[in-house]
Amino acid sequence: MANAKSEPIHRTLQGQLIRLSPFIVGAVILFLLPAFLPAYVQTIWTKFLIFAIFATSFDLIYGHAGLLSLGHAAFFGAGGYVVGVLLLHYEISSFWICAPLGVIVASAIAAVFGFISLRVSGMYFLLVTFALAQLLYSIAWNWLWLNSPGMQGIAGIARPDLGIPSFRWTPIYFYYFVLIIFVLCFYLVYRIMNSPFGCSLRGIRESELRMESLGYNTWFHKYIVFIVTGAFAGIAGVLFAYFNRLISPVHLAVGTSFLPMCMVIIGGTGTLLGPVIGAMVIVFVEYFSSLFTPERWPLILGGLFVAVIMYSRGGIMVYLSEIWKRIGTHYGSTQS
Amino acid sequence: MEALRVEGLSKDFGGVHAVHHVSFNVEIGERLVIIGPNGAGKTTLFNLINGQLSPTAGRIYFLGQDITEMTTHRRAHLGQARSFQIINLFLNLSVLDNTLLSLHGTKRSRLQMFRSMKSYGNLLSNAQESLEAAALWEKRDELVKNLSYGEQRRIEIALSLASKPKLLMLDEPSSGLTRDEGSEIIALIRNLGPTITVLIVDHDMDLVFGVAERIIVLHYGQIISNGKPEEIRVDPKVREIYMGAEECIDRARAD
Repeated sequence: MANAKSEPIHRTLQGQLIRLSPFIVGAVILFLLPAFLPAYVQTIWTKFLIFAIFATSFDLIYGHAGLLSLGHAAFFGAGGYVVGVLLLHYEISSFWICAPLGVIVASAIAAVFGFISLRVSGMYFLLVTFALAQLLYSIAWNWLWLNSPGMQGIAGIARPDLGIPSFRWTPIYFYYFVLIIFVLCFYLVYRIMNSPFGCSLRGIRESELRMESLGYNTWFHKYIVFIVTGAFAGIAGVLFAYFNRLISPVHLAVGTSFLPMCMVIIGGTGTLLGPVIGAMVIVFVEYFSSLFTPERWPLILGGLFVAVIMYSRGGIMVYLSEIWKRIGTHYGSTQS
Repeated sequence: MEALRVEGLSKDFGGVHAVHHVSFNVEIGERLVIIGPNGAGKTTLFNLINGQLSPTAGRIYFLGQDITEMTTHRRAHLGQARSFQIINLFLNLSVLDNTLLSLHGTKRSRLQMFRSMKSYGNLLSNAQESLEAAALWEKRDELVKNLSYGEQRRIEIALSLASKPKLLMLDEPSSGLTRDEGSEIIALIRNLGPTITVLIVDHDMDLVFGVAERIIVLHYGQIISNGKPEEIRVDPKVREIYMGAEECIDRARAD
C-alpha cells in the first residue's frame, strides 16, 4: 500500500479489469450461451432477464432507499395491462407505442401510490402499498373492460411488432431483444446507484434524520425513487406480457410482489448484481423443480428462502464478492 | 449583526414544559455554550432551532429571517448544520460517501441521477480537505461502522463542518471521548473562522470554559443565567443548581 496515495490501485488497468471481470464474464454468458441452448430453455433465460429487470427495480427502492414495499407488482402488472388493453381494444401491437405508454402508465400509478403511501413509514408503508396493489387487483378482476371476453385477464398477446418488414420472431430473437432492454435498464440503474441521488437513497436508509439536517428533502427523494422504480417495473411488465402472452389480475397481486422481494433477498440487497443473481436462482430453480415435481415449487421456494436467510444473511452476492475479494488479493491487485 | 434570535420559545410534551419561554440571541461569529443539568431541555432547544421539533409557542429568527415554520432541510440550505449527541452517521457507507453526502446536501447536484458522485472534482477536494483536517483521509474507503468511537465523533463534526455552515450546532461533541480527544475538539472549535457562529451543548467543563465566549444556563426548560464565563463561574444560582451536586460530593468525600 506504499504507493496507494499517489496512484489508487483500482484505477490501474489491471485493477480495472479485475473489478469489471464479473460484468465481463456475465455479459459473455448472457450474450453467447443461450444461442446454443434448446428453444425452450431460451425462453427460460428470457423469463430470467425479465424478472432480473423487475428485481433490480425493487432493489432500488428496498435495497437502497430501505423502503419495503409489498405492492411492487402494481407497476409490473400495469405495464402488462397497457400492452393487453392496447391490443384488445385498439388493436395496437407496435412496441414503439406499447412500451413507452406502459412505462408512462406504470410511473403515473407510482406517482399516485407513492404520494399516498410515503406519508407513512415502516410497517405502515408496507401495508399501504400492499392495500393499493390489491385495489388494482380487484379492479382488474371486476372491470370487464380489462378482461378478454369470458375469462380473467387478457389473453392472446402476440410478440411485439417492431415495425420491421418480413421479420419473424423466434425464441432466440426475443431473447436478444429482452437482453438489449435488460442491458439498458441495468446500465441506467448502475448510473443511478453511483450518482449523488443514488447515494442519497442509501443515506436515507441509514439515517433519515441526518439527511434532513444535511439539507435533503428526504420525502422528495423517496417519492422520486418510487416513481423511477415504478417505471422500471413497468418495462418489466410490458416485456412480461409479450413473453407470457397472457396478463391476468394475478400479475398485480401480492404473489407477484413477493417474487422480486425473494429475488432481492436471496441475491443480496443493495448490490447491483444481487437482484440479477436472485432472479436467476429463482427462475431456474422453478424451471428444474417443474421438470421433476411441479406441485412442490412453493415448498422449494420457501425452503430456499429460509436457507438463505439462515446461512447467508446478505444474500448470495455476499458469498460471491467474498470469493472475488479472495481471488483479487491472491493476485495482489484489488485495493483493501 | 445577530445570527440567531429566539423569542419566547416553548415546547410542551404533554404537561411537561421541556422548554419554557426561552429568549436569547447569538451574534455572528460568537461561541455560545448552553449548559444545564440532565433533562434541562438543551437537546430539545437544539431540535427546535434546527427544526426536528416545532415549538408550542415562540419564534425563531435566523440571519434576520423567521424560520419558525421552516423544515429542517430548508434551514440547512440557509446555513445551519448540526451534530448529534448520539452518533448519527451513515454507518454502512464509507467515510468518503458520508462526507460527499454532506457536501452535496446543499447543492443542486443532490438530485443528479446520471453523473457519478465522485466525478465532482471540487466537492471531492473539499471532502479531502475536511477529512484531512479530521485526520481521516487515509480511512476514506472504510465503512463508518468499522471505525472507533473517537473517529466516529470526529466524522460527526467533520460532516457538520463540511458544507461550510454559517451556524454550527454541536450537541455534546465531547461526550464519551478521552481527555486528549476532547482537547482536540476544543482546538478544532477554536480554529474555526470568525464568520462561523457556534452553538454548543456540553457537560465537559474543560470544553465549556475552553471555548465559550458566553454561557447560557438552562434549568427545567428556563434560562436562569446568561453571561460571560467568568460571570457564570461565580453566579451563586448556577453554583447551587449545577455545581452544587459536585460540592456535595466533595463534602461527602471530605467527611
